[in-house]
Amino acid sequence: MVNTNTGFKKNLRGIAFRALKAAIKGILFYIIYFVLSQLLAPVSTLVPGLQQMIETFFIVYIVLMIVGDLTSGTIYQHFFNAAKALFVIGYMLFSLGGGVFGTSFENVSLMVDLRMFLVIAVLLSLLGLAKTVLQAINYMSEKAEITPI
Amino acid sequence: MRIPIRMIGLATTFFWIFLIAFAVTAVYSLKDVQFDFGEPQTGTTADNRLFFSMPISIFNRGFYDIGYFNVTSQIMREDGAIVASGTTFVPVIRKGEEITTTHMVTVSIGDLLQSNQNFLFNNTELRICESVGMKVAEMIPVQASTNFSVPWGAPLYGFALGAPEYSTYNATHLRVVVPVSFENHSFFDLAGTIQLRMLDSISAFVGYGQTPVEARQSSSFNGHVEFYVEPSELTRSGSFEVSFLSPIFNYGPWVIPYG
Repeated sequence: MVNTNTGFKKNLRGIAFRALKAAIKGILFYIIYFVLSQLLAPVSTLVPGLQQMIETFFIVYIVLMIVGDLTSGTIYQHFFNAAKALFVIGYMLFSLGGGVFGTSFENVSLMVDLRMFLVIAVLLSLLGLAKTVLQAINYMSEKAEITPI
Repeated sequence: MRIPIRMIGLATTFFWIFLIAFAVTAVYSLKDVQFDFGEPQTGTTADNRLFFSMPISIFNRGFYDIGYFNVTSQIMREDGAIVASGTTFVPVIRKGEEITTTHMVTVSIGDLLQSNQNFLFNNTELRICESVGMKVAEMIPVQASTNFSVPWGAPLYGFALGAPEYSTYNATHLRVVVPVSFENHSFFDLAGTIQLRMLDSISAFVGYGQTPVEARQSSSFNGHVEFYVEPSELTRSGSFEVSFLSPIFNYGPWVIPYG
């Protein structure tokens, strides 16, 4: 009975800790989003849809991050982390249209070539994905090591 | 395995922060780059080509240098053929630096008019394609371009020869006076010579005359060309071969029938 109570308390503490960690990370990312949107406010007026694009990205990213943190210590955490890395790659490729970003207002057309930025960002995301795969492998191997025969 | 994973995580986070900070500051610093395009000027060069020049002033108050700054102008006819183009290139504008340069495009009016006589006699439009490009932080290429049309005023608008007037000069020759009129709608003053070759009905040479021409921009010219012919060579109808010679351009001969 005492053991069950102690286990339950430990689990509860673990869940609370994970929730707190996720909340703090969520708040931190929201602050980053807020600062970014303030910095990019002058550009947002020139590029229609930029604000919406950044907003959608941060919402999905923060949700995946919080869910990943809440499921930490399970295999699902690695699924969500992999989904997060793949989402970053996909969203960047989709929203930046292959890296050449063009818009026009009045009679002036503006073209920004972000291919270099995109390549670096995709490579970093792939590195993140590789890290997640390694973490999953590590998790599975550690689990296999402690399984009593 | 935990340590390598943690190292990869740390490196990835570091590079992400660096990349985002760089991208945001690069875009943000564009706001602090001041471009001033001065009043465009026109004139003629020493080799009698027309030039359009525009002073450009760039004050880079941003966080990064600007590389490969270039301004390109293309002047095109209505059918899209390029008449003239000019490029101004500044390799690097350091942060905090102010640069003033002059963007210039020169046009050979002679080539323009020879290629299409519509420009000589009719008011029309020229299409101008302007583009400004640069590499923000010497890394991110940015280009802005625009198209617009400018009116082209014909230098010999409404050029017409009046009916030739004949009068006796002496026992062997007649004096022929041919009225000439046109309006100079162009943005440059016109000074040159109009030459007339009179041909009879079978295109045989009859007589030749010329007159100096001076017409300021947006003014009309009314004059005449006077020359002498033998009465026996005259026919009731024929044609004039007209040539226009000036330091800016030469044109002709073009044929105007009479009679």
